[in-house]
Amino acid sequence: MLGYTITQWLFGILSFLAIMFALMVVFTRNPINSVLYLVLTFFCIAGHYLLLNAQFLAVVHIVVYAGAIMVLFLFVIMLMNLNQDTEPQKTVISKVVAAIAGGLLLFVMVGALRGSEQLQIKQYGHSDIGLVKNLGNVLFHDFLFPFEIASVLLLAAMVGAIMIGKKEIK
Amino acid sequence: MNATNTPMDYLPIVMMFLVAFGFVATTMFLTHKLGPKRKTKIKLESFECGIHSEGNARLPFSVKYFLVAILFVLFDVEVIFMYPWAVNFKDLGLPGIIEVFSFIILLLVGFYYLLAKKALRWED
Amino acid sequence: MLNGISINMYIMLSAVLFIIGAVGVMARRNSIILFMCIELMLNAVNLLLVAFSTLHVDAKGQVFVFFVMAVAAAEVAVGLAILSMIYRNMKTIDIDELSKLKH
Repeated sequence: MLGYTITQWLFGILSFLAIMFALMVVFTRNPINSVLYLVLTFFCIAGHYLLLNAQFLAVVHIVVYAGAIMVLFLFVIMLMNLNQDTEPQKTVISKVVAAIAGGLLLFVMVGALRGSEQLQIKQYGHSDIGLVKNLGNVLFHDFLFPFEIASVLLLAAMVGAIMIGKKEIK
Repeated sequence: MNATNTPMDYLPIVMMFLVAFGFVATTMFLTHKLGPKRKTKIKLESFECGIHSEGNARLPFSVKYFLVAILFVLFDVEVIFMYPWAVNFKDLGLPGIIEVFSFIILLLVGFYYLLAKKALRWED
Repeated sequence: MLNGISINMYIMLSAVLFIIGAVGVMARRNSIILFMCIELMLNAVNLLLVAFSTLHVDAKGQVFVFFVMAVAAAEVAVGLAILSMIYRNMKTIDIDELSKLKH
């Protein structure tokens, strides 16, 4: 197919969709639509993970981001009853300035990274590093301490969320 | 586990998604095309027995749901650390059990805290 | 190796996603959308971590993504709790109106 392999086609389509949906997240006025477009972006990124042989990560990404975090966002938006009418808008000039700043940042990043080596990712072969067994080995041998610290982080987040979110205790 | 894993192995899943999505899209398109349309004002309103409908369909709802959702997210993230342990359970042996239980005990402290604060109580 | 995808493509994709997130943070006033844009930026970084992990055939990058996810979840939980508290007290989440600390 036009000299491209199926992997390259999939990469192109997924990248295009991811960027389009990400742009829609920023440019739609209705916050609920923003959340839904972000979910679609996350699905595209999960597709990228599959292409990169990170199968477990793709599943976890959908479960955690699309399944839990975005649902929480949707909850908060419905809790505050936000919709298009109540959506605050920046002035046009600050939007233009933001776009220019973003464009310049992109220009700098592309300019800085363009010269790096053209390394090809091996899509076939050595492809079992993304499986759960392998990840578990690395997690419990090389990253044991960060793993324990992560529980402290989650505990702190839990306590903080309850402290802030709970109404006054009677 | 010894079989080669390439992204192409997931092509059937992609196909399934495409077929599922395509089926829904086709059915919706066809029903919109085939069905007759009478767009009068009364038809477009939501049905409310005799009374005119008012306001937005989305009502703000209670904060009580919100804490449950937050706690769900935090306990959900826990799972991504548990799966690798469960799969490697035999290789890691006793040290693995100790490591994971010290992880879980810290989270159980948080669970105890939220029970003590009555964060999951529905009535207040 | 013609059938692979060069790492440069992934770098570019991540850079574009990151910058879309950054522009969103600059251009929107709704603080929830700001949070979502931050999630988008985190995801761009995650994607690049996974790409390099596959490039170097090293699972450490993917394990690192786990920790980023844990941090993101903690951040979202506390951040949204703070936001709902602000909304309850001030009836707005417009980032330009939450400037009481300035005066």
